[in-house]
Amino acid sequence: MIELNDVRVVVPPLRRDDDAKVLLDDVSLSLVERRVAVIGANGSGKSTLLRLLNGMRKPTSGTVSIDGLDTVKDAAGVRRAVGFVFTDPLAQLLMSTPLEDVTLSLKDLPRRERGRRAQGLLDERGLGHLAHQSIYDLSGGERQLVALTSVLAVAPRVIVADEPTTLLDLRNRLMLRRALADLPQQIIYSTHDLDFAADADRVVVIDGGRVLADGAPDEAIQTYRQAMGVHA
Amino acid sequence: MNVDASLLGLYRPGGGWLFRVSIGWKYLLMLVLTLPPLILLWWPLTVGFNVVTLACLVSSGIDVRRAVRIGWFMWCLLGTLAAYHLITLNPAAAVIQPGNILVAVFAARLLTLSTPTPELLDALQRALQPLRFVGVSPLRVALTIALMIRSIPYLIGLFDDARDAARARGAERNVVAHLLPVVLGAVAYSERTGEALIARGLGEQHSG
Repeated sequence: MIELNDVRVVVPPLRRDDDAKVLLDDVSLSLVERRVAVIGANGSGKSTLLRLLNGMRKPTSGTVSIDGLDTVKDAAGVRRAVGFVFTDPLAQLLMSTPLEDVTLSLKDLPRRERGRRAQGLLDERGLGHLAHQSIYDLSGGERQLVALTSVLAVAPRVIVADEPTTLLDLRNRLMLRRALADLPQQIIYSTHDLDFAADADRVVVIDGGRVLADGAPDEAIQTYRQAMGVHA
Repeated sequence: MNVDASLLGLYRPGGGWLFRVSIGWKYLLMLVLTLPPLILLWWPLTVGFNVVTLACLVSSGIDVRRAVRIGWFMWCLLGTLAAYHLITLNPAAAVIQPGNILVAVFAARLLTLSTPTPELLDALQRALQPLRFVGVSPLRVALTIALMIRSIPYLIGLFDDARDAARARGAERNVVAHLLPVVLGAVAYSERTGEALIARGLGEQHSG
């Protein structure tokens, strides 16, 4: 279970005259659903919220815990439990080819097993034929699936995905949505795609760093549309 | 972006002798091919070692065109260096300086074209074990080098993008228009890479 208690994230001002910037304020959530979507306008605090979940960002006040592990005190444990998928997979892929990148995730395995296991994981996702391609030669969808495979290689209990479909075309977007839907892990993702958000069991709407709505997809998305002044 | 045409190239599986040699011998071969021309500074030696290094690549089944595709940026740099020495009436240096850089690049490609990066990383990590006694993490150093190899094509791509953007705005001759996006892009890229390292828990759980 993911718990956020009275979380506040504040960025101190660069100059003495400026005010501190509040990125998240008074956020308390208890996330147990298998699929949770986070929606909101650009700059609303979605990415900050997601980065709190694997300890990439520390709360200024309040606590965040994953299955009882505090994201600040047990940062290493939390990062093993929570895999993070970035919007731009090129930022996430650290090695030159898919096989090398997945192999990097398998550091804990004996050296001889890593390559074979990495190839197996790529084969499972239908990416085996791309194992030795340059990550720069892959399509956006292929890159995102490789990034997901690298994250899944360490068998996380939770997957957090920050706008994973934003840079993808329609076909790749659908492919990634199917891939995420098939995963057994709990998945928390942010998106601007309201159809994708509607796939979730629960939708959290963030506006100006606060939770504007939280609940069933239909109602939450409707509240978001109203807040944006968009009527379906 | 063509990564095969980048400075250090990209490993692809192969069956040639270089692919079967252990990594330690490859590192040794790299040093043996690079150091003599660098130390002796004699132009026939530079030419000879370039030919031998290239022959090592080609005899391992690596296509000549792939072996010499080190990227237009590098060729331009070498060409400029050679041209400078020719203009200053120093023909020997026009061969030695760019030639020695080229032999070092080819020798490095002996490693990178025939060895998967994780193997390079493991070997470096083993070789750097003594650094642990002075508080340096061998994994971090090896990972830094692996990231450098992976980042070169991206950074060269930034140059290409900046050049296209400058052309689109009619600012081909504006040095700032060429360099500023590259610097900003490189900083943003390093920040994103840092985030990815943290997110993947690298460098903290494997401190050794």
